[in-house]
Amino acid sequence: MFLHQRAWRFYLPARFFFILGVVLGLSGCLRHEPPADVTIINGAEPESMDPQIITGQADMRIVQGLFEGLMRLDPQTARAVPAMAERYEISPDGKVYTFHLRTNLVWSTGEPIQAADYVYAWHRALAPETASEYAGQLYYIKNGEAYNNGKLADANQVGVHALDALTLRVELEHPTAFFIELCAFPTLYLVPRQTIEKYGDGWTRARPLPSCGAFELVDWRLNDKARLRKNPRYWDAVNTRSEIIDLLPIAGATTALNVYEQERADIVWDKTLVPSELLDVLIHRPDFHTFSYLGTMFVRFNITRKPFDDPRVRRALGMAIDRERIVKKITRGGEPATSSLVPPGVANYDPVPGLDYNPEAARKLLAEAGYPGGKGFPRFTDLVYGVKLYEDIGVEMQQMWRENLGITMELRPLEWKVYLGAQAHLDYEVCQASWIGDYNDAQTFLGMFTSEDGNNHTGWKNPEYDALIARAGDQTDLKVREHLFQQAETLLVRDQAPIVPVYVYMGLNYFRTNRVEGIYQNLLDDHPLQAIHRMGAPH
Amino acid sequence: MSDLPQPLSPGQQAGRRFRNNRTAVGAAVYLVVLVVLVLGWPLLLALLGGSFAHDHAPDQLSDAQFSPPSGQHWFGTDVHGRDVFSRVLYGAQISLLVGLVGTLVSLVIGVVWGAVAGYVGGRVDSFLMRVVDILYSLPTIIFIIVLITTLGEVLKQSHLVTQSPFMGAALRVLLLFVGLGAISWLTMARIVRGQVLSLRTRAFVEASRTLGAGPVWVLQKHIIPNIFGVVITYLALTMPAIVLYEAFLSYLGLGVQPPMASWGTLMAEGVGQINPIRIYWWLIFFPGGVMVLTLLALNFIGDGLRDAWDIKAK
Repeated sequence: MFLHQRAWRFYLPARFFFILGVVLGLSGCLRHEPPADVTIINGAEPESMDPQIITGQADMRIVQGLFEGLMRLDPQTARAVPAMAERYEISPDGKVYTFHLRTNLVWSTGEPIQAADYVYAWHRALAPETASEYAGQLYYIKNGEAYNNGKLADANQVGVHALDALTLRVELEHPTAFFIELCAFPTLYLVPRQTIEKYGDGWTRARPLPSCGAFELVDWRLNDKARLRKNPRYWDAVNTRSEIIDLLPIAGATTALNVYEQERADIVWDKTLVPSELLDVLIHRPDFHTFSYLGTMFVRFNITRKPFDDPRVRRALGMAIDRERIVKKITRGGEPATSSLVPPGVANYDPVPGLDYNPEAARKLLAEAGYPGGKGFPRFTDLVYGVKLYEDIGVEMQQMWRENLGITMELRPLEWKVYLGAQAHLDYEVCQASWIGDYNDAQTFLGMFTSEDGNNHTGWKNPEYDALIARAGDQTDLKVREHLFQQAETLLVRDQAPIVPVYVYMGLNYFRTNRVEGIYQNLLDDHPLQAIHRMGAPH
Repeated sequence: MSDLPQPLSPGQQAGRRFRNNRTAVGAAVYLVVLVVLVLGWPLLLALLGGSFAHDHAPDQLSDAQFSPPSGQHWFGTDVHGRDVFSRVLYGAQISLLVGLVGTLVSLVIGVVWGAVAGYVGGRVDSFLMRVVDILYSLPTIIFIIVLITTLGEVLKQSHLVTQSPFMGAALRVLLLFVGLGAISWLTMARIVRGQVLSLRTRAFVEASRTLGAGPVWVLQKHIIPNIFGVVITYLALTMPAIVLYEAFLSYLGLGVQPPMASWGTLMAEGVGQINPIRIYWWLIFFPGGVMVLTLLALNFIGDGLRDAWDIKAK
């Protein structure tokens, strides 16, 4: 008895520490992850990590770290610079590109990368069964469009061929000045053939996921985070200065700001992640950055549904939107209101003004279309990506249309993936959409409203418009080309109005200027992950 | 009370006891004022017309964005420059209406269901009560969410809704009625059944039956009047629960859609404004405050009624 009691007392502290150790050990199990060097709030949960499937900017910003193309974007200027291709030659007629790959290219899992892999990847992007909405980015390649449409069954006739293990020859339909810029676009990235053949559509769930970019994917946890680790086999790994980057899928602006203010994130890099009602305070902070870039917010109409098949109805609705109020009261970041789709600042192009705010004329047009005072106009819904900024814009338009035209619109806010799906399947009547330039040329804006483009999403098919865009594509004289584009844009935003542009985006982001560097403001609002690192990180 | 010349009926006695309960009376006064305001404010705006009505219309956009409470906008304005006072009253229409309808459903279905089960007994009783048990065993809020979303999708495609603008607008509110009504009557049915079971065997009911009264007569003349106190008490306690449910659903975005408002959607808007830089406190304080006061008032009234009708506490 005595002994026993003594033993008890003696061991009491030991027990305490033992239990403490167990508890700490257990909690250690829960949080065994090392902290990230840089944590970025990225916006909505990515739709996919398949470079040839994704369409959203947030998705591309992650995928850009994992995969790469022949070219990559310079972090400061957002112009394409050689990446996997060490150098390239362009034939005198501008139609044949010869790319010479680097000799030290391997996947993060060790397999070598060859020119034939590019042939596979581009064939996959164009294959009808891949159903890539961005397949249009490869229509400049010879026979690309025909293969994608199913008019041509033989992939070998597409103008991309491997001459040897390290040489890729690309033939274009027409001389395309921005083709080099396109080579830095995710749809034209290299994808791992061996993994895709093994796993099929779900290949991005394979672990380890072979990557050819500066980072490899450690983990992608739904609605938690995507964690990237430096890829030591990347050809330019010496210049990757971050070991681990976390990207958090936070879509709410207020939540993003709260997380940032609690120092749990270093970078918040999307305009939808800035609470616009606080912009008057935020805009004066040193860690807050605004810059202009190539992006337009616009309204789409679903042409396949009545009464939006009538151009008069579409124009009436467009003329009843008070854009000035939306940019002054809701977005508040200094965004210019616009009635043209192509934003100012696009190279070699002067945008055409579209429909101005004119409630009187709008009422008249609606009456001509058979709905005087909005009588008999059916209720319709406005598809919105469900974040506060766009919902607030929706409420404004709802009231403008009700007051100016006497028609009733209902908001239909949806989560990012569902929103994209509804838009792609034309499961909407009116939809608030946005487009960010993929390269600095009017084609990236105007090209997507041709009949067969995967990003059209309005059901609008206009042969005259298609012909104008095609002729502009053939044209090498910049002045004539601009003129053709302007004619097309007039059709698009003034005469037919399958879309109504509202305002030009301002790039807005905030990050700890005293802690991270390597993030720059550029025209594409693009921030390659490779350049981003903590201040003083080893070189 | 024996000194009174004439004995009071149970209802009169309860009324007297209720009037002596200060908190309950205060709560009742608050509710009456609220209801008068909710009903009277739109009328007042319509009667006054002019710029005052224009500035205070619940959907009217204005340049006075985020203005704090002032003489002109008593509860301030929101992101679109809309008057929050008007929107709180406008939201109260929906919230109180849903609460009222839910309570009525609970009254009608619950009392009839419970009374029939208790009075008829036997297999009918077992069947009716098992139905209640099954509905009870479903997780309430998930059940409502599933009901509202599936029914909503089905009805949205229907001819009636696509053709008539009014039905389209009312659809969301109707869905809330159905969803909340579906669960509101369960407890009521159980309580009523229990009461009826015990009353059924009482001497005066037996006497009435012996004299040849049919079940409808007995239910109408003897049973229903005797459970009245319990029913009304429970109704007063059901209403705040339903108002709260509605707020919860609307907060999640399943309730009414903009530009309509209910307290839930108003609070959701207010909560969206909580951040470390600047808080537009009036967007959360006023809708939340009015709702909390209303729920408190309804609960006080429920308590007061229970005390007033409680025979044992006499």
